[in-house]
Amino acid sequence: MMITRISLLLLLLLTAFTRTAPAVTPEEVTSANNDFESGRFIDAIASYQAMLDSTQLAKVSSPELWYNLGLAEEKSGDLPAATLSFRRALVLNPTLTPARNALAAALGTLGVPAVASSGGWREQIPARLHPKFMIVGGSIVGWLGLFLLVFAVMGKTRRTPLIGLALAIAVLGYGFAIEGGMIDPRRLAADEAVVTARNAPALHVTPADSAATSGTLAPGSLITILSRNGMWWYVTDGFGQTGWIFSTTVTPLLPNSAGS
Amino acid sequence: MNYPMKLNRASRAGCVSALALISFACLMTLSCPAASAADDVSATAEMSRPEVNAGEMAELQVRVSGAEVADVPREVSVDGLQIRLTGESTQVQMVNFKVSSSVVYSYVVMPLRAGKFTIPSIPVRTTAGIVRTSPVAFAVIDGSVANAVTAPPQPQPQMPQPGMPGFSQPQPTPQDARADAGRLAFGEISCSKKTIYAGEMVPVEMRFYFDAHYPVKVGGRVDFGSEGIVVERFPDPKESRVDRDGVTYNVLTFHTLLSAIQPGPVDIAPAKLDSQIQMPGALPPGFDDPVFQQVLGGQSPFTESRDVTVKTAPLHLDVLPLPKEGRPESFAGAVGQFELGAAVTNPKPAPGDPVDLTIKISGKGNFNAMGAPVLMETDGWRTYPPSDKFEGSDEMSNSGVKTFDFTLIAQEPKKTSPSAEFSYFDPVLAKYQVLEAKPQPLSAAPGNLPAADTISSTNSIPTPTPTPTAPAVIHPSGSYREGDPLALLTLNTWKPLLGRPEFLVANIAMLVAIAAFAGILRYYYIQKEGGTVSSRRRRRSNELISLLKSDTLDAAATYDTALEYAALIPGEREDVISLIESLEARRDILKYGSGRSVALSREEKGELMKSLKKLSSNSSL
Repeated sequence: MMITRISLLLLLLLTAFTRTAPAVTPEEVTSANNDFESGRFIDAIASYQAMLDSTQLAKVSSPELWYNLGLAEEKSGDLPAATLSFRRALVLNPTLTPARNALAAALGTLGVPAVASSGGWREQIPARLHPKFMIVGGSIVGWLGLFLLVFAVMGKTRRTPLIGLALAIAVLGYGFAIEGGMIDPRRLAADEAVVTARNAPALHVTPADSAATSGTLAPGSLITILSRNGMWWYVTDGFGQTGWIFSTTVTPLLPNSAGS
Repeated sequence: MNYPMKLNRASRAGCVSALALISFACLMTLSCPAASAADDVSATAEMSRPEVNAGEMAELQVRVSGAEVADVPREVSVDGLQIRLTGESTQVQMVNFKVSSSVVYSYVVMPLRAGKFTIPSIPVRTTAGIVRTSPVAFAVIDGSVANAVTAPPQPQPQMPQPGMPGFSQPQPTPQDARADAGRLAFGEISCSKKTIYAGEMVPVEMRFYFDAHYPVKVGGRVDFGSEGIVVERFPDPKESRVDRDGVTYNVLTFHTLLSAIQPGPVDIAPAKLDSQIQMPGALPPGFDDPVFQQVLGGQSPFTESRDVTVKTAPLHLDVLPLPKEGRPESFAGAVGQFELGAAVTNPKPAPGDPVDLTIKISGKGNFNAMGAPVLMETDGWRTYPPSDKFEGSDEMSNSGVKTFDFTLIAQEPKKTSPSAEFSYFDPVLAKYQVLEAKPQPLSAAPGNLPAADTISSTNSIPTPTPTPTAPAVIHPSGSYREGDPLALLTLNTWKPLLGRPEFLVANIAMLVAIAAFAGILRYYYIQKEGGTVSSRRRRRSNELISLLKSDTLDAAATYDTALEYAALIPGEREDVISLIESLEARRDILKYGSGRSVALSREEKGELMKSLKKLSSNSSL
């Protein structure tokens, strides 16, 4: 009886983390998709953008809409913007394979490495297993381990092997959940941005136009913002290049509506 | 006019050579009595310059001949001028064995306004009486140090030559030299060209001169620039010393590069440099005693700091547009003189591996604005935008080598690399030049996989690694086709799950549930064991009391029951212990005497129950 109640509670909690209710009418999506398939990419971009900017999608967003927007931007020739949209789709749903494939193709065209050598595992694991399930699943396993631990400790005869097993299950479950939290793209995206300028902007040694340059960033590159100084951001591209860049040449990975 | 100071000839204590000369002069005076008899006392006044610009200073010298001791005024009052005594020196001359000596009193003259002045005759009190100097005319021209006249650079033997190519060294005109003579500080600017092309880098030299007699502190940086002009950063200035018309100047020389963005005439405001010059100050009251003057060598140790902004002349440039005629398609903004070299670092890559083509542009020009060379004949190659790196050969990065690294992947067997074209505008020849890198021999073949959708790299150069395309997902509404927009939408939040309140609430709820689970388990096991110790004790004590009240027990059993009841009382109380001892003694008497089968008397039982009740009232039973 008690096990049934606990399972019911866990099920309710799990369903609280996944929302599938559509916030935009299917007719709007169909209309925008028709524009895209008819070759009216500019109209499609406007429609997708309007849906993404709607108040319904202020706090939550749709990875599929971002993917569709990226496709339209790619077709219209704005590859750097398309990489941003694909990356946003993958932030919302890292297992969205079409977005991952489209991003790899766009980056290949731009000549940008898709994965930084230092952060590859962060990209590989979410592509196969959604961090959300790692966090929720790990937490549930951790809770079960704690329940078992309580049972083993409170029992009339304390059994050391059972206590050890319960501890191992709890540590494993919470460790899995913490790792899921660490690789959650939504956490990492808070300090990331994409180079959306059409021409490769220069990295400056100091935050000034007249400062010496230490290299350039290819359009579509993913950069990490290390610090900010007004309109100048100190960034790294994950390949060892660091420097100051004027912030108008890049766009934060999280849109403004995300409260970044 | 006052006369606070009494000065003598031997005032400069630290000057050994002067003392030696004086001693020699005295000796000669003693040996030649006719010479001393011939000395007449006289005084003359002379300005170091007849006129100065407003804000500049001059020196007034009062020369007293024929007197060993003289009094001169510490200040000379002239409306519009501030004239203060700063020190004295002694000069001894011997001509045809005739020795003459003179004392020179130096005054600093600081104009307070522009105009023409006459410095009145200055009375000098000597042992022979009072002599007077002649009045001196002096003029202050309207203007300031900040608006200093700019003179072209004047080559001097002591001054290092500018280390920049292309500088002309025009000779100064007499007017320029006279204008600079004796000035406290002034600036000059030199630009090798007056007519430049848009984007052309032009070296500029700025020199700031400071009179070496006065300590100078230079603060901040050179303020130079204008709209439409890009000025490169300033390296550290070079210091030198130069003589101009008898005045020694310390010179700070700044080099930089400028380029114009837009064509048309450009007027660049004067370059400015803020400085503080330490000027001789007046002696405060109490320090005007002659003893102090001798100790201090006749020089005022007090200085006044004066803020001076030194300016050069403005600079005018005519900026020409880059011609449209003859502009190559590969032109990407490079202006200067360049050379090109190309090499393939790995001419025999494994099939599918990238080829690294390195193109080096060397020379002199605007490397910052330079675009990459254009690859030609790229059919059969997959190319990527190059990475670039610049290594300057001078401190201003006007010349050097810029390296472009191209990554190429052969899509079909190749024996040579693509050629490359680089074009630039040569401002000397005033025309575009095209450089071409010939195809480099190599042997490259495509890999087995046709497409590269994922690129990995270990350095900043993009190195594509072909991987098979991931299988397309099956869309819920039907089969998914690569590149098609998706119709079914899901919603996700931008917030990380660990930071969401529902996750926190769920974890807290789970902790509460675990705690409740622990409580339930504990309750279950307690119930299973018949309750807690106290509840069991309480239950047993009630049973014993009922048994004692039931009159079914004989005397010995009654005391056994009473003893069990007393033993249930927690703690080790003395009254309980003494009662138990007395109960045991009475029980033994009854048990081993005649009380085994006899009921306890009503009085004794009443006393026993009373004792037990008293015990229980003091305990938790």
